[in-house]
Amino acid sequence: MICPETTIPSSGRLLLSEGNSSVIALTSGEPSGVGLELAFKAWQKLKGSHPFFLIADRSHVNSLEQTCPVIEIQSPENCLGVCEHALPFLHYQFPTSSIPGHYNPENAPGIVGSIETAVQFALDKRIAGICTNPITKEVFNHAGRKNYSGHTEFIAHLCGEDCPVMMLAGRKLRVVPLTRHIPLRSVHQGISKKLLKQTLEISLQSLRKDFGLQHPRIAVSGLNPHAGEGGLLGLEEKEIIEPVIRDFQIKGENVQGPFSADTMFHKKFRKTYDLAVSMYHDQALIPVKTLDFYKSVNVTLGLPIVRTSPDHGTAFDMARKGKARADSLIEAIKLASTIQRNRIKNARSPSPTS
Amino acid sequence: MNMTERKPRIGIIPGDPSGIGTELIAKLLNVEEVSNSNDVLLIGDRHVFELGQAQADKGYDLYPVDAWKDDWINVPSFAHFENPTINPEEIVIGEVTLASGTSAMANLNLGLDLLRQGIIEALVFAPFNKEALKLGGLRFQDELHHMKDYLNYEGYITELNTLDGFWTSRVTSHIALKEVSDAINETRIINSINLINKTLKRSGVKRPRIAVAALNPHAGDGGNFGTEEIDVIAPSVKKAALKQIAVDGPWPSDTVFLKYKNNEVDAIVTMYHDQGQIALKLMGFDRGVTVLGGIPYPITTAAHGTAFDIAGLGIADIGAFRNAFELAGTMVMNWEQANG
Repeated sequence: MICPETTIPSSGRLLLSEGNSSVIALTSGEPSGVGLELAFKAWQKLKGSHPFFLIADRSHVNSLEQTCPVIEIQSPENCLGVCEHALPFLHYQFPTSSIPGHYNPENAPGIVGSIETAVQFALDKRIAGICTNPITKEVFNHAGRKNYSGHTEFIAHLCGEDCPVMMLAGRKLRVVPLTRHIPLRSVHQGISKKLLKQTLEISLQSLRKDFGLQHPRIAVSGLNPHAGEGGLLGLEEKEIIEPVIRDFQIKGENVQGPFSADTMFHKKFRKTYDLAVSMYHDQALIPVKTLDFYKSVNVTLGLPIVRTSPDHGTAFDMARKGKARADSLIEAIKLASTIQRNRIKNARSPSPTS
Repeated sequence: MNMTERKPRIGIIPGDPSGIGTELIAKLLNVEEVSNSNDVLLIGDRHVFELGQAQADKGYDLYPVDAWKDDWINVPSFAHFENPTINPEEIVIGEVTLASGTSAMANLNLGLDLLRQGIIEALVFAPFNKEALKLGGLRFQDELHHMKDYLNYEGYITELNTLDGFWTSRVTSHIALKEVSDAINETRIINSINLINKTLKRSGVKRPRIAVAALNPHAGDGGNFGTEEIDVIAPSVKKAALKQIAVDGPWPSDTVFLKYKNNEVDAIVTMYHDQGQIALKLMGFDRGVTVLGGIPYPITTAAHGTAFDIAGLGIADIGAFRNAFELAGTMVMNWEQANG
């Protein structure tokens, strides 16, 4: 399997020469969690190679122990000039200060507003893409917005899309869960031919456009133990999954399955596909996190903008302790810029298959 | 009896003669520690064991005994208790046949009889083929339920999986995913916790550390994505913990397996089939062992199947089967203590 890193140019400097089409905006996320301090750590690692800037409240940034030089910028276009010497941040006014480890609903409008700002920069093509720091889901309610089921759904809404697809990308496995944050008892109702078809279409398109794979291979899991064992352990494979896979095969796409979820993630099997599509959250997340806990990244497919995020949460309990690891954030920023580079390359020389 | 000299008495049956089982037995018995530290009784047709020797290209000597009457411990080579179950010409390598299923069932039943009479202390079986077993007279969903019935055992049983000292059990098993939520209840969860706790003790872990997985994504996220954690799982775990069991949970299932990787737990109780099997198979597809949990004797096997596609070729890996054999011995040596 081709890992995300393999398409990153060997000389990081190359990115810096590409102007703002290489700059990633990193959102504040929950200011009382680990997001901001991880931005400092990520900058140490990426300063010479991957330009990014933070959108955050000045007072929050200044209240942190400065483990790296920071510099305030006035617009995204200022990032490239300074990002080799300091972590650039664009001030976004939050209502109040933040206390490490304590969620304060008063700051919800700031959290949501900084996401909207980043998305707008990307929609206006002033940056290459966005990487979002973790938030708690309550912020949408507390910011007086309608009840979005998550970060991804909110960003999709801002982009005018209604079927975002969530991909988890680790070094050893990429996987898309067909259903996400719903109770396990609702999963069998949540999967449908329509959703699977949409998800496969978006995934194939993204593998070509975002990951530069000319002939993407997808393996689809079953829903039930042993992929239903010929109907003995559930019928969803026969009634929903198999017909959709067949339709894609008729169109000449390399989509295979449904496979028993407990065997399709082992090493030998993983070599036969570029992406696994699984039926529910934990069926996707167990293999990704068990294989590669620290470096897995969340990518939203099917949006006009590039959006990635680290696959951990706000980690309130670890805030300001300096122990949180920035691996996933670093990979998320790197992957965002890789995807944008692939999109540009793809637009210049479209492959015959897309 | 001097404990340092005591060797476990372990019976081995060939499983499905059309699969890789007989070859695995030949390879296992050629491992020096195996023959030195255990008393092995081979149960089944002599020609089946010889077939395995030819397949593996590894020989060993069989010493005919009548296990019911003879002292089979102090014999010059591997004690073999003949049980005529199949004719040589009936064996079709790599295929499901009535004859192979009948053979496997007959050897299993004799093995269970010998266990019950204390002739052997543990039973290790080479892989069965479920379809063949059904042709050969299996009336239950699997061999575990057959054993329960054959032994008239009334207690709770479940299949346990183990890999390098890490164990999983599951509260539900071979049922459709949509039925899982309704099948989760306090009795089943507590039974699963108790059983894995007891089995780990029987395999030599003094105070097993057990984590219980949640059912829903993010362990239900405080009730946002399901309420089984709040309504059923957490109260059940609390009850079990009151009985001096080192158990906690429910933990989100996408990170609970890291607790094993970080050596924080010995066992994880999962809620459904794929939850545990995905992680376990990822961590060591070829080495896993299945323990017939609850059955009042140590019975183990390799977690893999008959591997018909490579049967007879001599290329089967003995890792899992050897682990199954060694675990059976460990369980014999710790069984009494754990029950005391």
